[in-house]
Parts: sequence; C-alpha cells; structure tokens
Amino acid sequence: MGFLAPLMLAGLAGLLVPIAIHLIGRRRARVVKFAALDFLLATKRRTARRLQLRERLLLAVRVIACAAVALALAKPFTSCERKGPQVTRGPQAAVLVIDDSFASGYLLDGKPWLGRATAEARHIVQQLGPEAELAIVRASEGADHPTELTRDHLRLRDQLLALEPSARPADTTRALARASQLLSASSHARKTVYLVSLLAKHGLRTDDPPWGKDGPALVVVDLRPEELPNVAITALRVDAEPGAGTRGVAFDAEVANFSDAPATIELSLAIADKVVARGSLSLAPLERKTKRFLAALPSGTRAADASVSITPDALAIDDRRWVRASLRDQVRVLLVDGDPRTVRHDDELFYLEAALRPGDREDSGTSVRTITAEELAGIEPAAKGTAAAIDLESFDVIVLANVAALPPERVNLISAWVRAGGGILVAPGDRVDPAAYDHTMLPLLPQSLRDPIDTTWGAQAEDRDSRALHLVKWEADHPIFTPFSKTAPELAAAKFFKVSLLGPTTATSDRKVLARFTNGAAALVEASIGSGRTLLFASTLDRDWNDLAIHPGFLPLMQQAVRHLARKHAAFGETEHFVGSSVVLSTGDLKKLEVRGPPGLGAVFEGDRIAGRSSVRFGRTERPGVFRVIGTDATGNTHDRDELAFAVNLDARGGDLTRAAETDLPPSGTGAGGLPVDTSRRVELWHALAAALLLLLLVEGLLVQR
Amino acid sequence: MLPERIDPSHLARLGSLPIKARVIVEGALSGMHRAKLHGSSVEFAEHKEYSPGDELRHVDWKAYAKVDRYYVKQFEQESQLAIYLVLDASASMAFAGGGMAKLEYAGLSLAALAYLAIQQQDKVGLVACGDRALETIVPPRGRTTHLHDLLSVLDSVMTRGGAGDESPAAALQRIAELSRRRRALVVLASDLMDTDDKTLEVLAQLRAQRHDVSVLHVLDPHELSFPYDGLTQFEALESNHKLLVNPAAIKRDYLERMEAFLTRCRGALAAAGIDYHLTPTDRPLEATLLELLVARSRLGPARRAG
Repeated sequence: MGFLAPLMLAGLAGLLVPIAIHLIGRRRARVVKFAALDFLLATKRRTARRLQLRERLLLAVRVIACAAVALALAKPFTSCERKGPQVTRGPQAAVLVIDDSFASGYLLDGKPWLGRATAEARHIVQQLGPEAELAIVRASEGADHPTELTRDHLRLRDQLLALEPSARPADTTRALARASQLLSASSHARKTVYLVSLLAKHGLRTDDPPWGKDGPALVVVDLRPEELPNVAITALRVDAEPGAGTRGVAFDAEVANFSDAPATIELSLAIADKVVARGSLSLAPLERKTKRFLAALPSGTRAADASVSITPDALAIDDRRWVRASLRDQVRVLLVDGDPRTVRHDDELFYLEAALRPGDREDSGTSVRTITAEELAGIEPAAKGTAAAIDLESFDVIVLANVAALPPERVNLISAWVRAGGGILVAPGDRVDPAAYDHTMLPLLPQSLRDPIDTTWGAQAEDRDSRALHLVKWEADHPIFTPFSKTAPELAAAKFFKVSLLGPTTATSDRKVLARFTNGAAALVEASIGSGRTLLFASTLDRDWNDLAIHPGFLPLMQQAVRHLARKHAAFGETEHFVGSSVVLSTGDLKKLEVRGPPGLGAVFEGDRIAGRSSVRFGRTERPGVFRVIGTDATGNTHDRDELAFAVNLDARGGDLTRAAETDLPPSGTGAGGLPVDTSRRVELWHALAAALLLLLLVEGLLVQR
Repeated sequence: MLPERIDPSHLARLGSLPIKARVIVEGALSGMHRAKLHGSSVEFAEHKEYSPGDELRHVDWKAYAKVDRYYVKQFEQESQLAIYLVLDASASMAFAGGGMAKLEYAGLSLAALAYLAIQQQDKVGLVACGDRALETIVPPRGRTTHLHDLLSVLDSVMTRGGAGDESPAAALQRIAELSRRRRALVVLASDLMDTDDKTLEVLAQLRAQRHDVSVLHVLDPHELSFPYDGLTQFEALESNHKLLVNPAAIKRDYLERMEAFLTRCRGALAAAGIDYHLTPTDRPLEATLLELLVARSRLGPARRAG
C-alpha cells in the first residue's frame, strides 16, 4: 500500500485528541459526595457494563474517525494484478476479434458463452474511448470481415449485440491476420488486437502466423472456463447393408469425447424424423468410438433423410449429424472392347472394368457388360428379341474403347439411342482411324478426331517421363470432377505419352472442354446430343498411351463419368458437405431448380441462372441439416429430385475445444506504441475511507445520543 | 419579629443553638394557634365524691359551694416523660446537596424538640450515633439547666460533622435497655441509610415494648430528585466507593430505587405503629416540628400517656 500525499499522515497525531478529550473529560468530571451511593452502585451494576462499553466504543469510534480523516487525506492506494484486459483509453487503433464459432454457443450457466464475450467486448469498446478507431472481426471460418476501422462505436455495439454463434469452426488465425491488415492501414502509433476467444487449438495455425515482428500488440481476453467438456458426433457414414435386407443400410456414427472425463452417452438414429434405433456408448477421456446402426429405409422410398443424435450437452449443435441415405441405383454400362486380348492385363478394358466394378462387388453401383466391336452387330433391329441380341435400352451408358469406326447404320442406331437419353464415352486407341471416324462416327462425337501425337517420339528412355503430358485445368465444379480438388495430384500426376488431337466441333450442342493437357490440347470434351450426352476422352482407357489407369484418380474419374452420362451422380451419402461449403448441383435438363434447407436457407435457380449450365453452385449452407431440391423440367413437371438432395453438417474440428498453448498464439507485436506494459492496476482507497468516516460519524452520533 | 416561615438556610445564620431552637419552637407554636400543648405532667380527669383518705387539697371547694357536697378532683397524674432524642451522626448525614446538611437539619429539629420538652419539664436525653468511638449519650433530665448541656452536646456533634458508618440500631437498642421500666418517647432523626434495615427492626422492637417512637426521615432534596447532569464522579460518604457516571443515564433507575426505599421505610414503620415523617432538608424546620407535634396530638392522651 502507498500514499499519494504521505505528508498528510502527520494528521495521525490527531488520534491523541479524542484520547485527551476522554481523559480530560474524566478528570473534569464533577465530584459529588453522595450519601445514597449504594443506590447508584446498584444501578451501576446493571448499567455499568453497558455504559463502560459505550464510553470505550465512543472513544474507539472517535479515534478511528480521526485516523480515517488523516488516512483519507493521505490518499492511500494499493496495487493489484489486473484481472481484465489491459485497456488504455485514448487515440489508437484496435480490432476486437470475437470468437463466434459454433463452440461460442457453449452454454455456461444456461447462457451461451458468446453473451459473455460480447459483453466484455462492449466493455472494452467503452474503455477505449471515443477517440479509438475500431473494428470487430469475427473469428469463425469463412466469416465476412470489415474493410476498415471506424469511430462509429454505436454501430459496433449494435454489431456486438446482434452477434450470434455461427455454425462454423473457428479460424482464429485468419481473423487475426485480417485484424492485422486493418490495423496496418491506420496511422495511429498504438495498434492493438483484442482477442476475445475460447482459445480452441483447432482455430490457430502455428505454421501460418497472422503477423510478423511488426504486428500489432495482442491482448488476449481469456473468458474461457477451466473445463469445457464436450462430446460430439464427428462423422456419420451410410452404406448399403444387404445383410439388413433389400432396403438395409448401415449407419456408422463416430462419436468423440473431447473432455478429460469419461462419458456415457445415449445415441438415437432417426430416419425421416422418426427414431428407429437407440444405443449407448461409453467413452474414455479423449476417446473416439464408432457406433453402427443397421436399419431399413421406409418402403416405397429409395432415399430418406437420416440423422444420429446423442444426449445434448452444453454444446448441443454438434450433438446431431445428418445424412442422406439411399438405395444405390446401379449404372448399367455396356463396354465395347475394340482391342480384346487373351492376356488379361493387355486387354483394352482391363483397367476400366476394374474401376467400374472394384472387387467385382455387387454393391459397386455399376453393372457391366463387355462385348467386342463385332458383337455390336447384335444391336441390329432385326436381331432384336433374339437371345443373343443386345438391347441398348437395357443400358445407361456405352463406352467405346479403342473401337474402330462403326458402320453408319450402327452409328445411327447408337446415335438415336443417345438422343433418347443415353450416354456414350468414346476413347481412341491404336485401332481408331481418325479419317474413318470422320466418315461415320461424327454423330457420336463432340469433336472430330485428328491424328494422335506421341510426345515421347524419339526421346531417350530417361527423357520419356519428362516429355509426357499431364491433365490440367479440369472443371472442378463439374460433377465429374467433384471428388477432386483443383490441384488433385491423383489426376495431375498421370503421364500421357500419346494423345489424340481434336478437330472441328460436330453438330452437337453445349460442347464444353472439361479438362486439358499441359500442351493445351483438349483432354475431355462433353457435349449434348438430344437428351443424351457424349464424352470424348483424348487418350486410351488402358495403359497404351498413358498411365492414368494406375493412378488413384482413375477409378473416381471413370465412376463419375459413367454416372454423369447416366445422370446418376454421386451416390447419396457419399459426399459430405460442411457448413459454409458450396454444393454443386447438376441441373440436367431442368429449367428451374429450387433448394430448400433449414429455415431461412434456400435458393431458386431459374432463367439465366440455370440456362445453358450443366450445374449450379449453391452456397447458402449456413446451418447444418438436410437440403431438399425441387426441380422443374422442360415439360413443366415439378417434383423432388431426391438424387440431388444433400446433407450439410458441422466441420467436426470445431467440437474439439482443447485449449491452445501459449505458443500457439502469435507473439504480441510492437504495435503498443512503446507504452510500458502495466500488469498491475492502482486501487485508490480514500473513497472507502471517506465512506467509513461518514459511517463512523453516524455511529458516534448514535452513541452520544444514548 | 420572626418570620412565619424560617428557611433552614437562614436559620443557620442565627446565633447559638439554643437561640435557633427557641426560634424554631416559637415559630412552630405561633402556627399552632389553638393547638393544645400536650405533655403537661398533671391533668384533670373527673370528679369523685369525697371519701375518707382522700387528700384535702384535691377537694373542689367550688363544687362544694354549689352543691354542698364534697367532691374530690381526680387528676391523671402523668409521670415526667422521658424523651430520647436519637441523632444519626453517621457520615452519610453530612451530605448537603445544596443547602443545609442533613446532620444539621436533624440536629436543629432535635434541638427544638429538646427546647420544647424541657419547657414542659419533660426529661430529655440525647444519643448521637454513627461512629462508635464518638458515640455521645446525654441521659434524660428535666431541669432547665439540662437544656443548656444537651444543646451544647448537640452543637458539638453538629459542629464535628458526620462520621462513621454505624447505624442507629445499636443506639436504639441501648435506649431500649435503659428504659425497660419506663416507657419513653424516642425520636430518631436519621436518613435510615443502613444497608441491612437493622434500624427499622429495632424501631419496631422499641414500639413493641410500648415505647412511643417517632422518626424524622431526613433526606436531602438532591437525594430525592437526583438533579445532576454532566459527567459526575459520585463518592460515597461512608466508604471509599467512587462512581464516574453520566447521571442522566441512571437517573430513572435511581429514582425508582429511592421510591422503593421510601415505600419500604414508610411501610415498615407504619406497620409497626411508628410515627414517620419524611423530612427533606429544604423544608422549614418549624413546619417539620409542627407536623411532629400535630401528629403526636392526634395520637391522643392514652397513647401519649402510654
């Protein structure tokens, strides 16, 4: 404890005044020799203690009052550690980074943590004073950030009041980086970032610090309680389960216990909003377990919404996860082998067959029939109905792999089938003669073929790989490339040594190059033929011209291609969408497409937004849940497009509330403007003393009156 | 001419005690008007027809002249009354709240009584108690010169002031022993502030022995009203006790105790048939004397004769 005016302590000598008055008062008492003192003594025996106590109390009160006066004038103060954030009033630039990730909805005493955070943020805004230029940056992943600092504190307070937990995980590092950018544009010497966060480890990336040494000062407002136990469903997968019947499906719910205490939770599976199964799990601290539910989809439907929930805890939003469960539609593919071999792995279709029916499993979603080019004769109308005949109507897709040019009548037959809605994939090879193709096959192609080029021609063996072409610039938004990122190495690493060049376009419509080679030549071209589609791949489907077939990207690429041609895109439940991500929806022949999600989330694509597009991108996935798609085709028929409906879930990373280490936080920069960091605050005590003095005077008055 | 009411404080400025006593008596007698003086030694009672043996000097010659018969006057022959004046001269009697000390007041009262009694040729004795070592006893005598001796002793006791803490009980018991054969009038002037009420018991005992007992309960007005204010240190007169106190804080309690004390004294003495007079020291002495005489006259000749 210290004193601002220690000289005033000399006033403590005033303590002697009441003592002296007391003693003098005793001395100055009138002396009366009294005969009836016995009566007084008897009276005194009853009141003496009270009187003596009163006298002593009076003396004590007066002494303390004198001391209080002297002490108050000396202005005592004490220092204590600052509990709140270090906030200095005055001209400065500051950004408040508020954690509004879904974890900020964690209930503490029945109220979301975010309420505490915004209250503290408002307090900081008030403390900073009107001269401070401020901004508020939300720390949830993908949140919109302000573009400049402002002195409009009222608007900032309104923003804080309106802040609600998002459904996204935290991306604190990105928010801090944005805060640093905003502050760098300010001319103030003092630049501070106030981080009001749960400090979850998942939101901080140590490999990508938000600022360097010259960054702003960082003040961490730690409102996080010691313990934040949380149990969450982190994944939900659904698969066909023949063992559970013809409509059987299996749900695998992964549950994680992010707390340091064991947990026993109840799970329930709901299909079409009806609970059909329950279970329980015991989880050790920090343990993950998977619970499998077997169920059958309701009869009469091929797809349904399903969700698994656990007993709600303080963070309820991650206690439920949705999925679209469906019975898989098989794609019927007719493979035409243009170069059959007796050595199996030399066969033109060896890799394609394996890709379309991995493990030759019944549940691969694809049924394949392979014929030779010669067997195409079986598709003659005259032969239709015979046992050996091939009915094109029983197929969804035809793949012509290194098939020599077909006679015109065959081509017309296949072309008619395509126009009626079929899909055809054409891949060249050594048996393909571009000139012959130009003569008869153009009705089935988006572009004519030219002679192939061999990029390794004349090269030494060691230079062969370096001269190979690679796939680039694929349309990542196209349904065929949905499984791939824009730089997917599983595709980009494939080497193409020989490719067919493409000539002029044919009489098809909606031609689109979906991927190119590194030399700029088209690699995959799509076009519409009537109601059907055609795909032209500019290289072989085996390893004769490239090594794509032995790369991981081959299988999903082929699967997606035949499904796209068959209008059967990703099987339900196979693709998981997170909150905030964009979902590509294949439009097909739809003229209008409406997406309906949780309340307030939806979109309608029609007119220019859908015309001439094979797919649309839906980005309003702000809340988890099931999004239904309603399509209107050219004939005006409107109905649910179950195959397009999708489920959106939380990014499970956000449920892990493990506290970040000190080292995970970026270091506080020099933006404090050279101000000394004062971790203690002065508490002046004279106010309390003055109040005590008033109280003492009141007590003294009462004692004197008695 | 003496004033009709003599303030005790004015009386103190008068000369010697005999003069004071005379002033008090005359003041009292002037206020009695037709009041009869009692205590004469021979009083007419009735006539009786003469029979041989009767004293001739008692023959009523006037009656003989009227009715021609000899009648003899019969008298109630009062023997000479012994009056014991008991003065409590203990230290507590020295208290003087603002005017005359209780001891002085009591002494003057008894002096006046002695004056009056001697004039009536009664025998008057004095016992001054309070300090056993200084106890003074003047045997009862009826001569006029005795009055001078008695008042001298009384004056010396008053001049000496109160001392000691002995109650009048011992002195009263001694009187009881001395006057075992003859009834006496015992007049006690005291503040009765003995702690064990022994005095009241002995007084009752005296009354039970058919003595005539009167008590002048002499108290200072300050003792009755407790008019003190401000921090005061009270010091006992008969002990070393001291008490520093704010009187206002205990006044109510004190007055209650005083009232209870007076009630107890009055009740106990009345129960024993003792003549009790509460006598504040600011009260005129002749009024006190007159009250005492009036009260005795009300008791009637039988009581007075014993």
